[in-house]
Amino acid sequence: MVQDLKTDVLVIGAGPAGSMTAKWAAKHGAKVLLIEKRQEIGSPVRCGEGMSKEWLPEVGITPGKWVNVEVEGARIFSPREQVFEINEKSAGNEVGYVVERDGFDKQLAIDAANAGVDVVLKTAAVEVLKENGRVVGAKVKQFGQKFDVRASVTIGADGFESQVGRWAGIPTNLALRDMDTCLQYRMTNVDSDLRYCDFFLGKVAPGGYVWVFPKDDHVANVGIGVQVSQVKTTAEARKYLDAWIEKHPGYAKGKKIDMVGGGVSISPPLKQTVTDGLMLVGDAARMIDPLTGGGIANGCIAGKICGEVAAKAVHAGDASAAFLQAYEKGWRARLEEKLYRNWLAKEKLCTISDETFDKLIDALQGVKLQKLNVHNILKAVHDKYPEVTKEFEAFL
Amino acid sequence: MPSKKSLHIEASGQLCIYCGACVGICPLNCIYLDETRITFDEKVCTRCEICVRACPVGAIEIG
Repeated sequence: MVQDLKTDVLVIGAGPAGSMTAKWAAKHGAKVLLIEKRQEIGSPVRCGEGMSKEWLPEVGITPGKWVNVEVEGARIFSPREQVFEINEKSAGNEVGYVVERDGFDKQLAIDAANAGVDVVLKTAAVEVLKENGRVVGAKVKQFGQKFDVRASVTIGADGFESQVGRWAGIPTNLALRDMDTCLQYRMTNVDSDLRYCDFFLGKVAPGGYVWVFPKDDHVANVGIGVQVSQVKTTAEARKYLDAWIEKHPGYAKGKKIDMVGGGVSISPPLKQTVTDGLMLVGDAARMIDPLTGGGIANGCIAGKICGEVAAKAVHAGDASAAFLQAYEKGWRARLEEKLYRNWLAKEKLCTISDETFDKLIDALQGVKLQKLNVHNILKAVHDKYPEVTKEFEAFL
Repeated sequence: MPSKKSLHIEASGQLCIYCGACVGICPLNCIYLDETRITFDEKVCTRCEICVRACPVGAIEIG
């Protein structure tokens, strides 16, 4: 019989957001248990592995061996494959590194362990424990045995397929238009360019995009996201990706050496991410940027805030939803406006035609943007195709 | 009363890549992913087929 455990903070899920939350809670003096259902943190990888980098110092991450390639910029390809190049500075947080995601996740778990967090593998939460309507920990399963972990504060960092929020009564359901279904191949012998992360827009990937992120000379992650509401039959992500590869000789000649799938939320921010005794963070809290599909930066930034608030709640002996509002307010102040704005932009981009995409990219040729944002792009487009910007008046 | 359609998931490793896309979108929270095993709560499942659309590789068949 396995003994029940007691801790100050229980973090469910050792992805980036979970490890970051655990680390910062421990750094602020809380006793933290981080549980991971898999046998290996970071593996199997479920990620395109493109990552921005300017946010890393803010959360205390030092670049390490997990950096694969430091790209110079991004190239956006219109449907007729006119290119708009964005350098790393103007793209802000959208480009930077291509990473070994499993190495990155392991580094964050090591950072957490070094801060005093207890990390336990092969341990899955199977339900949240509730007392008088408050979450007081979770029932977990480890090596076939179930036991209770009681905690002053419980954190759901269980990723896109999060159960913890639902068990705790926080609505996290997604509309079909707010999810992309994704598939990626690691390909070798392809004509990728180590200097760029490439993005292909339009009907090649309805409601998403095709990406090519370089991993090494002639090796790249070639992937696709397709909006679920635009999917009509089965396996459409694979069909669209295969069709794109077939049409591009520089990739059609390549060989697939790995395959990764997954769901990505492209939703507006949740209305609620805390309840009595519990906080949600990262993909579980639908913090993925709805425009780029990137979730690591937001998960880590929110994770730091979440960990700090968790430790404060422990010290105050108060994990009520009212106390945990400090986290709700903190992450919203940092991330919410951009998440909402990018969700609106995504909603618009999902509806525009290939012709409009072509005009958007064409209008940006030769234009020097001080800073890459929706407003500056639309101003440039307005000069060349005023009729196109009519569609986007709400954003100006 | 018509009986519910049978539910079949190809989880032998032939098609399913255990990515969890179906788990995250299921409006009734009745799909479970346990490393390399996916199970459905057939009593809760209404055969809405949203998971079929969300699956990137076409591993879920209902019928």
